[in-house]
Amino acid sequence: MCVFKKGRGKGPGLLQEANMPIGGFVIHVWPAKKPQVLKELAREERLSVYAHDDKGHVVVVIETETSEEMAHLVRSLSLIEGIFTINLAYLYGEDEVEKIESGAYKPQTVFGKAFR
Amino acid sequence: MGLSRREFLKTTAALTAAALAGIDLPLKGEDLAQAAEVDGWFRGTCRFCGVGCRVELGVKNGRPVAIRGVPQSRTNMGYLCMKGMLFYQLMRHPDRLKRPLYRARKTDQFREISWEEALDIAAEKFAQALKTYGPASVAYYGSGQALTEETYLFQKVMRAGLRTNNVEGNPRLCMASAVGGYITSFGADEPIGSYADIEQAFCFFIIGSNMAEAHPVLFRRVMRRKLDNPDKVFVINADPRVSPTSRIADIHLQFEPGTDLALLNAMAYVILEEKLYNEDFIKNYCAFRLGKQKKRVSFEEYKKFIAVYTPERAADICKGNITPEIIRLVARKFATSPATMSFWTMGINQRIRGVWANNLIHNLHLLTGQLCRPGADSFSLTGQPNACGGVREGGGLCHILPGHRPVKVDKLRHQVEDLWGVPRGRIPAKPGYHTMAMFSAVNQGKIKAIWINCTSPAQSLPNADKYRKGLAREDVFVVVTDIFPTKTTELANLVLPTAFHFEKTGVYGCTERRSQLTVKAVDPPGEAKPEVWIVREWALKLADKLKDPVVKKCVEPFLGLEEGYALPKAIWDEYTQKLTAGRDNDLRGAPYEVLKKLPDGVQWPAPTKEWALRGGTYKKFVRGLDPLADIHAVDERPYQFYGPAHKDRKLWIWLRPHKGPAEEPDAEYPFYLSTGRVIDHWHTSSMTGRIKELMRANPYAYVEINPKDAKRLGIGPGDMVLVETRRGRNILPAKVYEGPMEKMVFVYWHDMAEERMINRVTKDAFDPGSKEPEFKICACKIRRLSGPKPLKPYIVRL
Repeated sequence: MCVFKKGRGKGPGLLQEANMPIGGFVIHVWPAKKPQVLKELAREERLSVYAHDDKGHVVVVIETETSEEMAHLVRSLSLIEGIFTINLAYLYGEDEVEKIESGAYKPQTVFGKAFR
Repeated sequence: MGLSRREFLKTTAALTAAALAGIDLPLKGEDLAQAAEVDGWFRGTCRFCGVGCRVELGVKNGRPVAIRGVPQSRTNMGYLCMKGMLFYQLMRHPDRLKRPLYRARKTDQFREISWEEALDIAAEKFAQALKTYGPASVAYYGSGQALTEETYLFQKVMRAGLRTNNVEGNPRLCMASAVGGYITSFGADEPIGSYADIEQAFCFFIIGSNMAEAHPVLFRRVMRRKLDNPDKVFVINADPRVSPTSRIADIHLQFEPGTDLALLNAMAYVILEEKLYNEDFIKNYCAFRLGKQKKRVSFEEYKKFIAVYTPERAADICKGNITPEIIRLVARKFATSPATMSFWTMGINQRIRGVWANNLIHNLHLLTGQLCRPGADSFSLTGQPNACGGVREGGGLCHILPGHRPVKVDKLRHQVEDLWGVPRGRIPAKPGYHTMAMFSAVNQGKIKAIWINCTSPAQSLPNADKYRKGLAREDVFVVVTDIFPTKTTELANLVLPTAFHFEKTGVYGCTERRSQLTVKAVDPPGEAKPEVWIVREWALKLADKLKDPVVKKCVEPFLGLEEGYALPKAIWDEYTQKLTAGRDNDLRGAPYEVLKKLPDGVQWPAPTKEWALRGGTYKKFVRGLDPLADIHAVDERPYQFYGPAHKDRKLWIWLRPHKGPAEEPDAEYPFYLSTGRVIDHWHTSSMTGRIKELMRANPYAYVEINPKDAKRLGIGPGDMVLVETRRGRNILPAKVYEGPMEKMVFVYWHDMAEERMINRVTKDAFDPGSKEPEFKICACKIRRLSGPKPLKPYIVRL
């Protein structure tokens, strides 16, 4: 069964244009636990559910301010009872790469210095 | 009306994900044609584990901006994991090494120098060592993450140019026991089957592997198989630690570390006792072998040997939740399933008897005939993306020449010399130092110049402090080629910046004998260079300094070639067309132009282009599926075991006794200490530690303690805990968790901080056969030091 269902969150196009990145994921869910999982996912503002099926596939798009935030979110989602894995299919992060290049965003900034 | 840019990107993301799941979305696909968000997509392979997931990098204005999986790929079907998701950030990371760095003394500060000067210094130091102390004084230590072309060229220059077999690589630390297991059991390295067996298996036996975290995309396929067939598919997970892999298991066998050999022999006992073995398969294809002399023994003698491994005795040895009934149940499931597939990784390989443990898993498949049929295979998972392709196949270990040729076999060694056009006798007849011997030789000052490529032994060796002392010696010249500073660059004289993945072209060969090409998509930063360019230019300078034309001869076929594509292509052509010809890993049918045509490369053997263009060989040794099985057939039987190591063309069932770990807990050190990976980090975290998201998820290592032990010792979550072994101490925050069994603690090994770097305290005992260290087990004591303390993540910077 294929069900189309937009997320209750901000929905397509509601975030500011500059907010990146955007990720398309397939969440794999125990089929018997899918209803509870969908309820949990519906609470998440940064996530839109696009479809799900009887096999336990749930297609979602996640949009966050940074990929750090996205990775955090994916990790916390993976702890939801009934989800056994979350796989990425597509990630767009141009703005973040621009920020890394310009020095505006430096992945990992809290480390110490090497001993010599 | 057209979509906004953001709507377009979201629709693209949703449609891409839905397509992988086989779901049609009622979205307007035609709108997607309106705006190209990238200038081009470049196809390659993820480099963060051994699965070989195919990925495409989207490039815009010369910079990486997007990634997506390749849906047509038979490895990952388009799916990627968290590690694969964020690798593009490394390409523009500000910590990247961009210029050659040099210091005469290791206590000095590094200074930037030119490539000309850097290569001159490297050549001078290696030439000097060679002239003064002989070929045994120089060494190369490589990586299962290096491209095949890189490993192949490095080892060619070392062996034929510098006349040393001191060629090693970090796969010695992770899969040498699997190599030993395959060769001694099947007569040939690497798995018989493929990932495609997963969708045809009915019983999974996962032992010593946290597949869910270490190989998440492949684990998805196992889970999918189970979820689609919940009543028909049975999953057995055997591990001293409960991990995310256990979540889908029907049975989790939790046994004390180091008791696996007893468990596996007891499963064989049940198979014999209940006559669950496949008599025809054994009679037609197997022989029984014993001891170092490989003495052939009878089935009856094997039965006598196994008679002492009753499930009752094994349960006494294994402890944990192991009972005689559970052993009987899993043995029956294993034997009677229509098709059983085993998976394992470091829990089996990193043992003092890792080869034996591999043999005993293979034994179960051989006894029951769970092999060579769809869904039935004994499958060792690989940790690194090119440990199989580059190091095992390309000649990256001290005892193996390219094409699975043992160094010590004169005929094969001369074959290589002839193919390279160098004089016979140029490659020494004796294998070089294996990894632990190599770093012991560094400690002793026997090695005077060592080149370490794309790996960080200062962190990844067991009992690391002992070997860091050697690398710190001022009379040992250390060259490191890498993309970031590491614990090993801290001990280097010369640090050479290299191109990263997608900044160069080359092939990775993943776990299932599959070779896949990654094409250069963007330029490396600063003056970073591909390793193949570095080796070629270094060899030319060496030839001059040594006044030895044979050194130049090693790189002569590659002179003047452009480094981004033409150079690695020429190296790959030489390797595949000459060195794999007629070998069991025959890749003559898979030049770059063929690899580029296929979404997921080619599985060897692939002796012709026609065969390669069909994808190659899904199942070795089976007539009709493996062209070499037909070529080497000696009779009409459907399976032809032509493996080069077994002249009797049989699969060997080994009589291997139980053997515990090198260091067992005692009154002074009462706990088992085991180590492993977490999903967010890769190896020494020199790469993943720089991805803020991954580091935030797991900023520092912790020690996992069973709640019962924690309660007994007064340790609460987050408390600072002293973990002490006979080799040293770590101080780590506690994670009180129903993961490790009682009397066992577990620590992740990615953390670079001195006080949390667990390989400072692990034991460097190693398997006498494979020479692979027993990282997984040693004895320790633990003690609460204080309550929780704020900690800072740490990563090496220059």
